Amino acid sequence: MLLELKNIFKWVNSGSQRIFLLKDINLSVEEGEFISVMGPSGSGKSTLLNVIGMLDQFDEGEYYFFDESVHKLKERHRSNLYKEYIGFVFQAYHLLDDLTVYENLEMPLLYKKYKGAERKAMVADMLDRFNIVGKKDLFPAQLSGGQQQLVGVARALISKPKLILADEPTGNLNSKQGEEIMDLFKQLNEEGVTIIQVTHSEKNAAYGSRIINLLDGRMVK
Amino acid sequence: MFKNQLKIALRSLLKRKVFSLINIVGLAIGFGCAIIVFLFVSHHLSYDKFHLNGDRIYRFVTEEQLDGIHYSASVPPGFANAFKEDYAYAEKMAKVVYWGDEVLTIEDRNLKINMDEEVRFVEADFFNIFNFPLINGSHEVPLNEPNTAVITEDMAERLFGQEEPVGKAFLFGNKELITVTGVLKEFPVTSDFKSSIFISFPTLKSFSRFMSSESWGGISTNLMCFGLLHPNQDIEAIEKSIVAYPEKFRPNSKNKHVYKLQPLSEMHLNTTYGGGINRSTLWIFSLIGVFILGMACINFVNISTGQSLYRSKEVGMRKVVGGVKTQLFWQFMIETLLTGFLALLAGIGLCFLVLPWFNSVFELTLSMGSLLNIVAIGFILALLGLVTFFAGSYPGVLMARVAPISALKNQLSANDIGGSNTRKVLVIAQFTIAIILIVGTVVVNKQLSYAMTSDLGYDRSAVVMVEIPTNDVLPVQVEGLKERLSKFSGVEKISRCLASPGAAYLEWSTSVQYNNKAEAEEFSIMVKAGDKDYVDTFGIPLVAGRHFVEKDTLDEVMVNETFARKVGITNVNDLLGKQIAINSGRVKASIVGVVSDFHDQSFEGSINPVFIGPLVDVYNEFAIKINMAQASQTLSDIEAEWTKLFPEFVFNYDFLDERVAEQYQKEQQFLSLTKAFSLLAILIGCLGVYGLISFFIGQKTKEIGIRKVLGSNLGQILKLLTKDFVVMILLAGAIASPIAWLVMNRWLESYQYRTQISWWVFVLAIGGVILITMTTMAYKTIKAANADPVKSLRAE
Repeated sequence: MLLELKNIFKWVNSGSQRIFLLKDINLSVEEGEFISVMGPSGSGKSTLLNVIGMLDQFDEGEYYFFDESVHKLKERHRSNLYKEYIGFVFQAYHLLDDLTVYENLEMPLLYKKYKGAERKAMVADMLDRFNIVGKKDLFPAQLSGGQQQLVGVARALISKPKLILADEPTGNLNSKQGEEIMDLFKQLNEEGVTIIQVTHSEKNAAYGSRIINLLDGRMVK
Repeated sequence: MFKNQLKIALRSLLKRKVFSLINIVGLAIGFGCAIIVFLFVSHHLSYDKFHLNGDRIYRFVTEEQLDGIHYSASVPPGFANAFKEDYAYAEKMAKVVYWGDEVLTIEDRNLKINMDEEVRFVEADFFNIFNFPLINGSHEVPLNEPNTAVITEDMAERLFGQEEPVGKAFLFGNKELITVTGVLKEFPVTSDFKSSIFISFPTLKSFSRFMSSESWGGISTNLMCFGLLHPNQDIEAIEKSIVAYPEKFRPNSKNKHVYKLQPLSEMHLNTTYGGGINRSTLWIFSLIGVFILGMACINFVNISTGQSLYRSKEVGMRKVVGGVKTQLFWQFMIETLLTGFLALLAGIGLCFLVLPWFNSVFELTLSMGSLLNIVAIGFILALLGLVTFFAGSYPGVLMARVAPISALKNQLSANDIGGSNTRKVLVIAQFTIAIILIVGTVVVNKQLSYAMTSDLGYDRSAVVMVEIPTNDVLPVQVEGLKERLSKFSGVEKISRCLASPGAAYLEWSTSVQYNNKAEAEEFSIMVKAGDKDYVDTFGIPLVAGRHFVEKDTLDEVMVNETFARKVGITNVNDLLGKQIAINSGRVKASIVGVVSDFHDQSFEGSINPVFIGPLVDVYNEFAIKINMAQASQTLSDIEAEWTKLFPEFVFNYDFLDERVAEQYQKEQQFLSLTKAFSLLAILIGCLGVYGLISFFIGQKTKEIGIRKVLGSNLGQILKLLTKDFVVMILLAGAIASPIAWLVMNRWLESYQYRTQISWWVFVLAIGGVILITMTTMAYKTIKAANADPVKSLRAE
């Protein structure tokens, strides 16, 4: 078991009303799964992903990640946990504009205190694997959307995570670029990486092994 | 990691060029001011610090208690030897006599120079107390014999060129031939003993009988007395034991002396006893330096927190890939450090540019080279560290606190990036400082022009003061010269006198007995010696009686209205014909005229009782009222005639109004500096406003867009944007005005006659700041108001 959510609630108070963003979510994920989260806008897909990624808090319930009780952890421990095991891919890529491709890839390693030589080897490995060696000194603005997302995926992978969380990774791409990214995810999954993606597209959801549907913060069958 | 962060920091500086520039310029000005203030303050603190036994050297000073306390940096001439004989406190004692305005001649080199501040008469032990060695390093300075002198290297070259000076002689005051017995190493700049000719004390006899005597009759500020005490002395005990001296040596004097010991380290920093600068002035300077630097830091905080809106995405992303708070905090600190370092370099550059101006204002020779020592470098590094901390920590903490998800989604509220209230408080603080400095500048300026232009009670325009260089000519000859000078068509009036009516450098006050009383009055009287034309030459109005008539024996004099008040007479005519005796009865005469009050010292002091009489022996100068239309011709006529009587002397003249202006040198310096500082404060304030308004408009873009879509016009939008600023400035004005009023009132209190701090000063300062702020804002605001609303709304 990679992670387990038990009776997770998340809400915001607006005036006298309590609006539920997540309502009684129960979910367990095994290592090696490829899960697609679907649902209309505002149904809580991204919120769920952020809760799983420990970027966002929840108000009630229990969350176990590799048997660690996340709901009991301090921020620093949580951050160590996701730093170690989770990689993120975003719809808007979120590469740092001031950094070159090489530096964007290197950044997570800096925060993990790898030695210089090690970092160099790991980045070179990743550039090689994604066929972007020639682009390593370019800045994000000089790349196409598909290339930027490729770098985004490479950055998520570089610290060898167990789990990749992707929030509409193809949302800003054209269909051909989107297909390439999805193929990449499939391949990664076959290599043993667990993937949870949020998507609007039935076609992309089909890449996964399991689909979770959300509506108004609730899981529906 | 550090290398990486430095690289990122550099890139993000380059990316936001305008803001980086504003930050760097602001901080550079702050650093520049701080460094100059540091140079200035450390210069003044280093005066006479190089003497080996400095902590044991004391100057003997006097509190003269009459109707008020008068502080004199001196003691009677008899003090030194009495003290040495009566007590064993001192290891060595030395008298030093400053002797200005005397001509020095070397015939065979055809040299004739007027010496003013260069000459002192000193006892030989002076060189055993202080650390002024000969060029060979020896402290055995040969200066016991009469008619000997030691001179500094520079003076040796000036007098004798490349020749060996020892054994050579010069003629001093056309009186004494003096042989050079030694050459001293050049004195450090930071010494208050900056003379270059030291003549042996026995020689003083033929120049001043009083100062070379063992008299206790009075004090001359030209004479100073220093002592090197034995180690570990109790100063209070010494002062207690010499309390008996006045009783013993001057039993009949109304002027009660209290003798004190002033440590050498206080000598330069205590203006009560004529020191170079007050400690409080140094504090004010330091405080202004801190203020300016503080303003620059506030700027930095404002601009950086404003910028964090644009940087939050980066911070959020770094958090997502594993950056923790401390790492992000330090990343920002390194950026601040880099900005600070660049600003420091620019600030040092600014100092190089500004220092010559600063030096000329303060007549100093500060140099950037003196920063090359451990203390100064430590100070600068500490400054950089502090500024980095104060400017960087708040925005750094804000940055590190950013919640990653909202940052990535651009959902940060104003509170996440530093409450707008915090920022407003900072800007109000800046405006407050700026307004205080502006008010200060205006008030100093007002007081100065008030002092310079107001009526001193006597006429100082077109009056030329010409020296009577020697007492060796007969009074009749001087009178003859006066006769001949008055014949020139350009000369309107002429008088022989001791000094001009308000000469602050010549305060001669003495005891007075009015109307044949046996006892002296409780107050002392200022003596103004001048002939029958004195009052007319200086245009002092006569309010009662007539001018005195000059006779062989002095029996008629004049007094001023304050004298009448002091002796309790309301109708000045009642004074006429009354007897007056001054200086313990040495002068006895009847009052024949009363003149209106005039400022008998500088403008700062109150008006004293004054006595005007023809004391023929003490005339020192001609006061000549000339016709300015033919000034140069008249002056050369005067010079030709003067040189006939005084062929051995150098002709010198001063315009009286220039001399009066010189008395305000300290105020002038203060004014230049407050002007400069308030300009800088305003400049930094403008930079801050620019940074803030950019942020503010960034925040309000959407609001402006919506309002424009709903039909509001340019004027209404301008009002929306500028309203907050006007309110902030008014608030700052409300805080600054009472502070400025209090501070400037304190400053003005040292002037007896002072300008008023009128309400318009505050209106001017606040209005000025509003105007400057609006101008700074105008460009950005109009651009924002004219922006296409569709674009700003689509960004949602």
